[in-house]
Order: sequence, then structure tokens, then C-alpha cells
Amino acid sequence: MKKFYLMLVLLIGMAVLAACSSGDEEASEGSGSEGSSDVDSITIWAWDPAFNIAALEKAKEAYDGDGEYEVDVIENAQDDIIQKLNTGLSSGTTNGMPNIVLIEDYRAQSFLQAYPDAFHPLTDVINSDDFAEYKIATTSFEDEQYGLPFDSGVAALYVRTDYLEEAGYTVEDVTNITWDEYIEIGKDVKEATGKNMLTLDPNDLAPVRMMIQTNGSWYVDEDGSTPNLADNESLEKAFETYKKMMDADIAKIVSDWSQFVGAFNSGDVASVPTGNWITPSVKQAADQSGNWAVVPMPRLDMEGAVNASNLGGSSWYVLNVDGKEQAADFMLNTFGSNPDLYQTLVKEIGALGTYSPAAEGDAYAVEDEFFGGQQLITDLSAWTDEIPAVNYGLHTYAIEDILVTGMQDYLNGAELTTVLENVQGQAEAQLK
Amino acid sequence: MKMKKKAFLVLRNNSLFIKMFLIMVISIVAVSLLITFSSIRMSSNLFMDTFSISNTEALEQIENQFEDYSFAIVGATNEVQNNGTIKKVLTQEDQNAVETSKSYHDMSRQIERIYPTVESYEANMIVLGNNERLYNVNYSNWPVSWEVLRNHPITQYTINRPNTLLYQFLPSTSFNDEPIIVATKALMERSTGEIYGVLYFPIREAQLKEFYQGYTSMENEVLLVDATGKIISSNNEEMIGEEAPDVLALAKRVDDEQLEFKDVTVFGTDYMLMSQYLPTYNMYLVNLVDKGAVLNNLINTKEILLISLGIVLLAVIVVFIISRRMTNSISRLVKQISTMAKHDFNVPVAETGGYEAKKIANAFNSMLSELQEYVDLVVLAQQKQRSAELMALQHQINPHFIYNTLASVKFMIQQGKKEKATDMIHALISLLQNALSNVDQTITVEQEITDLKNYVLINQSRYGDGIKVNFFISPDCLDCQLPKLILQPFIENAFFHAFNEKKEGFVQILVSQKGDNLMCEIVDNGDGMEIKGDHTKEDIKEKRHLFSGIGIRNVHERIQLLHGEQYGVEITSKKGEGTKIRVELPLQKTDAPVESNKITST
Repeated sequence: MKKFYLMLVLLIGMAVLAACSSGDEEASEGSGSEGSSDVDSITIWAWDPAFNIAALEKAKEAYDGDGEYEVDVIENAQDDIIQKLNTGLSSGTTNGMPNIVLIEDYRAQSFLQAYPDAFHPLTDVINSDDFAEYKIATTSFEDEQYGLPFDSGVAALYVRTDYLEEAGYTVEDVTNITWDEYIEIGKDVKEATGKNMLTLDPNDLAPVRMMIQTNGSWYVDEDGSTPNLADNESLEKAFETYKKMMDADIAKIVSDWSQFVGAFNSGDVASVPTGNWITPSVKQAADQSGNWAVVPMPRLDMEGAVNASNLGGSSWYVLNVDGKEQAADFMLNTFGSNPDLYQTLVKEIGALGTYSPAAEGDAYAVEDEFFGGQQLITDLSAWTDEIPAVNYGLHTYAIEDILVTGMQDYLNGAELTTVLENVQGQAEAQLK
Repeated sequence: MKMKKKAFLVLRNNSLFIKMFLIMVISIVAVSLLITFSSIRMSSNLFMDTFSISNTEALEQIENQFEDYSFAIVGATNEVQNNGTIKKVLTQEDQNAVETSKSYHDMSRQIERIYPTVESYEANMIVLGNNERLYNVNYSNWPVSWEVLRNHPITQYTINRPNTLLYQFLPSTSFNDEPIIVATKALMERSTGEIYGVLYFPIREAQLKEFYQGYTSMENEVLLVDATGKIISSNNEEMIGEEAPDVLALAKRVDDEQLEFKDVTVFGTDYMLMSQYLPTYNMYLVNLVDKGAVLNNLINTKEILLISLGIVLLAVIVVFIISRRMTNSISRLVKQISTMAKHDFNVPVAETGGYEAKKIANAFNSMLSELQEYVDLVVLAQQKQRSAELMALQHQINPHFIYNTLASVKFMIQQGKKEKATDMIHALISLLQNALSNVDQTITVEQEITDLKNYVLINQSRYGDGIKVNFFISPDCLDCQLPKLILQPFIENAFFHAFNEKKEGFVQILVSQKGDNLMCEIVDNGDGMEIKGDHTKEDIKEKRHLFSGIGIRNVHERIQLLHGEQYGVEITSKKGEGTKIRVELPLQKTDAPVESNKITST
């Protein structure tokens, strides 16, 4: 009897202890990688919540394919994206890489060339003919289409009609003009109104870039890597024009974006020659409604130059990681083939794409009261088609860094040919 | 009512068990509760101590991070202050576009050289000049215009303290959607004391958070509290920008008193507060650990309680079984003992149950049997004493009786009644022979009757035949045994007291068998008497002129002593009608030896 009780006690004790210790054993289920490259969600990296991120959200809403995956949009600063991409791709790991990434056109070639295998070609996915020609040059590499062209960087001249009027000019007088004519008008405007014609940031040669592209030229040769600075007639002309503007004292010098925006929002300048993406910023100053007009970008006073140029703009790239098929499917279904999406983007975000079929939509024909009833989007779309295609190559910003210093030397009295030979030498040495 | 009584009875019968069990249960529960809680408390304390040590170290690490950042800021500040180009650009007056452009360019080159010091912290750098010059390296991090910045309170504050590097907090506003912390320093021309600009290093709170984010969790919060008690950075977003002077005061105390940590209650929760003063920032780095939440994660109180509950249950069951067994045997023992009186102490208790109970029962039984022996001894002694007394009385045969008898014999001889004298002498001899032998001996009824006849003969010879004596003896009783001299005293009494008024009468002696009893009756038709009270003893007067010392009173006692209480003498009498005495005895045949009333013992 006693033994029985003892056994009973032991048994119960063991049962209690066993019950208490259970629960630790819940082994983590091994989530082994799936054999297929399909994934449950695709990740997209982009910058600018008001523009690119907003466009992505619209695209997500517009998606009507039958792919079953989540789309995660992650916002990063552009510099961060560049840095992370470079770090990730150069180490050869796809860990932590997104499926889709937005890359600025100026930088696209350097990525495509440095990491050709890291990107998934879209040649057979999208129809290149549907997009603005100049974008195709920057987003393709060695006959393969890699990028899906997104926003247009079509440049335009935003002018204050009231200031022009005060100086005795009309909108027609600034339409399809050369930069030289622009400077003359600028002098008159400053004389009449005391306002500068434009803002210039000595550390940003965007005007120079826009100028040389009107003549189909760039900092590098067609091959995309050889610096094309000395003996580049367009660049020489652009430098001369730039110096003329400075000498004429019609430019307000700024040092950053907020000062740049602040200048035209506060009515300090009479015109803004820049990419069309500035439209929302211009419209911020609602009290200036009706006093603005948008005309084609002035051209260099040279044979063959056109009144159309580009500044900025970016495109979507699919990375060669698991889920690339889904990412390509998402891109094709939205930005690659949906004209309605572009209508939405124009109407709600003011983002102008480069998808030609979209131009026939109603939204593009809308008259903009802020710009005196101008059919702004239609006009911009038309100019987009005229932008001379250039190969931005690999080194746009590296060369520009060198050029900025060269420009200062030139402005302060150095000989232009010497300056350009200098920067050519530096660029060749640095980019070898 | 019955139920209640029953319950009470059960309770009383089990009171030992209930008491023992209750005490055991209470002790077990108390002990396990105390041990459980003290071990939980000890391990919590131990854990919190270790936790505070590791957190203090973490705080030091965080402090290092902050110091590094501060060091970078100081380095950049010094470079800007000592930079002639920047100073020149900030002090230049209006120029033409080319000169301005050159200034901006030169300045940006300088700043690009300096900026990397703080760039890795993702801090911005802004240089503000009095001449409407503004250089903002990364305008997305605080896009501010010259006018706004020049008139900003933090600029005013900085200009008022030109020699100090200040860290100021800007809550989120419309133009910067995130709270930022700005390190500011006035740029001053040392020779003249003129302030020519202000340097700003805005860093997003989110970036600052990176310094300590890795050390935090839901229960382990880090706050940065500035000198005014405002929380300027925290891993808990909701706290940022809140005024918490109480936290500041506590942090000051902990730091001043060099405490490892302090238990506090802030924001309605109990926290363990650790603090570190950041001298370059003039801020306190505060670490709040939500003790409850941390311990909840660490110590599974429920599990510990369950374990101890299980152990308590087990122990209670074991105690129940064991004490039940122990107390049951004792209770049984007690029950047996308490009913002992009913059994005349001669039924031994059952020696069952546990060792102790057996021992007790055994001891009790041996005590009981010893007691029996003593009782037997006492009874025996009393009997002996009684016999001795009787013997003594018996031996005191009244000399007058013998003298008178012998005198009567002498007269008979003188009168020549030789035969009659011989009979008398004969009767006397046989009477004396029987009377003087052992008083304990029993004799047959026949013998007793013979003795009585002799006695009657002697008396009738002396006093005449006035009193007639008749014997009616049932023949089947003749060989029955009865104690000696049982009936003689009654005859004597009848002779000497029953016929004081009447001078003649008769005495009848009847002996018969009545059931299992021997019934002897002595009936006279003499004077009779009043019987008061106990009619067996007191009223029968003792007279000294007896045949022997055995009185009537002794007869009753002797019978009861020999045969038990159901036997004895019964006297009924009525004045003037006579007396009737009944003596009841057990029926004992000759061959059966007389046994005394022995106490059965085991």
C-alpha cells in the first residue's frame, strides 16, 4: 500500500513537471527557401513622396493583373538609394535588394554598365516605341531595354507674363527664342522691373546641361564614357552664354533648392528655365495664378539646335532577383501599358509620363488656369517628342563637379579654351 | 437537527485528524507560498540588479555615441570658425553676380570639405550669414529660408550665447514634418567680438535615435531630456516634445547621487530609472525600464505558481492519506477505550493500525491485565479477611450457650433422664463439631438440617416444647450444598425474639428447589415486628447471647459475597402475625465443588 502511494506521488510529480516544462519545445518552423523564384511580395525603392511615391500608390490602385503578391513601396532619399544599390550590387549579393528601383536617367548608364547582370531586361516585356525616344537611349544598354521610362524631364521656360508686359514683351516674344535673345529680354526686364530674370546656383550647371542638349550634345561622347569637353562647340557656346548671363547681372545667385523655389515663389525672378517637374512648386504661389506662361526652352544660337531639352527624369528598373517576373508583370500592367494611369498621374499628381499613347487622353488637354488657360500638358508632351536624344553616359555628375570649378575659373577671367582643356584633362585623369 | 448532530459527531470523532490535517495543510501552503514569493522576489531582484548593470553599461555606450557626435560637431564647428573663406563670404557686402557666384562656389567647396565630418550621422549643416547669405548643405533636412532662420528663436538664443555650442529642440512643424535637434553656434570675429553668422547642425530626431535604438525595447525606454525638462528624443514617439520636469528632477538625483538606478513612478507606470548626464549637450540621458513588463517576460510567475500549487496539492494528498491512517487507528483506540467501562475492564482493545497505535493498545492491554490482577488480589484479600472475621466470630461460641447446655445436661442426669442427656450431649458434640470446622466449607442441606435439629433439640430441652419446629425439606434438595450456619441464626432469632409475648408457637423451615435456586424459608407465627428501611439488615437486633458470633446481618452479606447480588435474604414481617425469612441460594449439588465468584481474566 505504501509503495503504491509512493508510486502515485512520483507519477503525479513527474506529470506536473512535464506539463510545466512543455512549451519551450515549440521549434521554429524551418522556413526553407522556396524552390521557385516566385515571392509573396515585391519591394520598390523610390524617393519623393509627393511625386514618385504617390505615382506608385496610384499604380498599385490601378493594377488589374492576376498576379498575387503584395507591393511594398519604400521611400528612401535618392542619395541613399544610389549608395545602397552600389553597396549591394558591388558585393554581388541580392539580399535586401528591392525588386524594382527608380534611377535617375543621368545615373542609369553607370549602373547598367557596372552591373549588367543585376538588372532584368524588359526588351520583350514593354513596347519601346510607346515611349519618348530620348528616354529609350538612356534606359537601354547594348541593345537591351532595361528601364521602363517614367517621368518626363522635358524642360521648359516658365515666365512671368506680368513682368514681361511691364518690360514691353509678350509671351510670343519669348517663345522659341535663343539664349542670347533671352539674355537681352532679361536685361530689359531687370531695367523695367528691377527683378532678376532667373536664379543660378554656382554649384549646379543644370542650365548648361539643358543648353547643350538642345543641340544634341553632352559631357561625354556617344560611347557614354569618353569626356567630350574640350573642342565641344555646344559646351563652349553654353559656357559663353552662362558668362553672358552673369555679366549682364540678370541672375540671382542661390545656393540651394529652397532658395531656388523661394525666389520664384516670392516673385523675385521673371522666369524659371527648368524641368517640367517644377510645375507643382510654381503653382504653390496661388496668388500668382494667371501671371505665368510656359514656353519652349530657349535654344543655343547654333545650327541644328532645337527649342527642346530635358532636365532630370527617371525610370523604373527591375532587378535580377527572385520575383523579377512578378515585378516585370507589375510594371507592364501599370506604367507599361495603362494610359488611364497616366491620366490619373497628370490630374492628381501633376506627373507627366513619357508614355505616348497617354497623350491622347482628356487629362492632357485640360486648360490650366494658373498658366492663363494654357494646355500645359499637351504642350509639354509635344516638346517631349522633340528632345534630342543623347547618351548621358556614366559620368554626368562626376564631370559636372569638375566643370563647376572650371566655370568659376572662366567667369573670373580665364581663357575658355584653356579652361575646357583643363577640365578635359582632369576628367580624363579622374575617370580613367 | 439529526443531520447536524451527525455532522457534529463525525467532526468530534475525527477531531484529531481534522486538527492535524488542517495544521499540516496550512503549514504546507504557507511554506510553499513564502518560498514561491521569496524566490520570485529574489530572482527579480537579482535580475534587476544585473539588468541595471548591463543597462548602465549600455547607457555608457550610448553616451559614447552622443559624445562621438558631439565631437564631430565640435570639429566641424571649429573648422568653420577658423575658415577664412567662409568668414569672408559671410561678411562680404553686395557684389555683382560673378563675384557672388564665386563666393558661393568657394564657400560650397569649403563646406563640402567640412561636411563629411557630420555627414555620416545624417546631420545637415547650415551656415547663415548676416548678409542674407545662407548655405544649406542638405535642404531636405530642414528646408528653411534665410528670413525664417534669421528670425528664428533658436538663432536669437544662439546669438545671445555666442561662446557656447547649444543643442536645441525643434518640434515638428509645418515645414519640417519631423522633430529635429539643432546644434547651433554663433560665428564670432574674435578680435572684435562681432557675430558674423550662425552655424547650424540640424539632425532629425530619428537619426539621433539611432544612437540608442539598438538598446531599447518596449519595456526599456531611453529618453533624452534637456535642461528645461523637455523630452527631445525617445524611442517612444509619443513622448517626444513632452514636458517632463519630474523625470528631469529624478535623473538629476540619480546622477548626482551616483545611484546605480532608482525605482520611480512616472507617466503612471513603475519604472527603474537610470540616468547619465551628457555635459556637452547639457542634457540627461534617461533609461526607463518598465519593471513589470520586463519581469513578466523573464519570470513566468504563472508557471512557478502552478508548480508550487501542484506540489502543495501532492503534499496535501500525501498528508491526507498518512495522517488519515495514523489518526484512524488512534481514533479507533480512543473509541474502544471510551467504551471500556461497559465491559468491566475485561475486554482488551484490538491491537491494530500503525506502530504507535499498536504500542499504545499493547501497553493499555498489559496495564489492563495488571489492573485485573490487582483487583483479583484485592478481592481475594477481602474474601480472606471476611473468612477470617467469620472464623473468628464462629469460634466465639458463646460460653453461656455451652454452660447452659451443660447445666441442662447435668439436671437431666440428676433427674435420671440418662437417654435424654445422652442425646443432648450428642447433639452438642455434633453441633460443636460442625460449628468449629472451617467456616468456608459448605455442607449439604441434610447436614445443615441435622445441625438445626440438634440445635432445636438442645433449645427445646432447655426451654421446653413451647415452640414447635417443623422441617419441610424437599427430598431433591437434600444433597444440595449451602454455606454453613446460614439458617441457624434465623432459628436462634425465632427462638429468642419471636416469642416474647406469645409463649408458644411454631417455626417452620422449608427448603425447596425453585428454578435454579435453592429456596429456604424460615417462617414463624410469633410476635412479628415493624420493619423500617432496609429490611435485610439494620432492624434485626444483635444479641450477645448467640450460639456463635455470626449474626443475621452477616448472613445476607455472606451470601452476596459468595454468590452475587441476585441472592440474599429477604425478610417480611407483620406485628402480631409473625416473620417470614426467605434465603435464596444458587442450586449446588454435592459433587460440584463450591467455587468462589472468580473474576475472569485473560
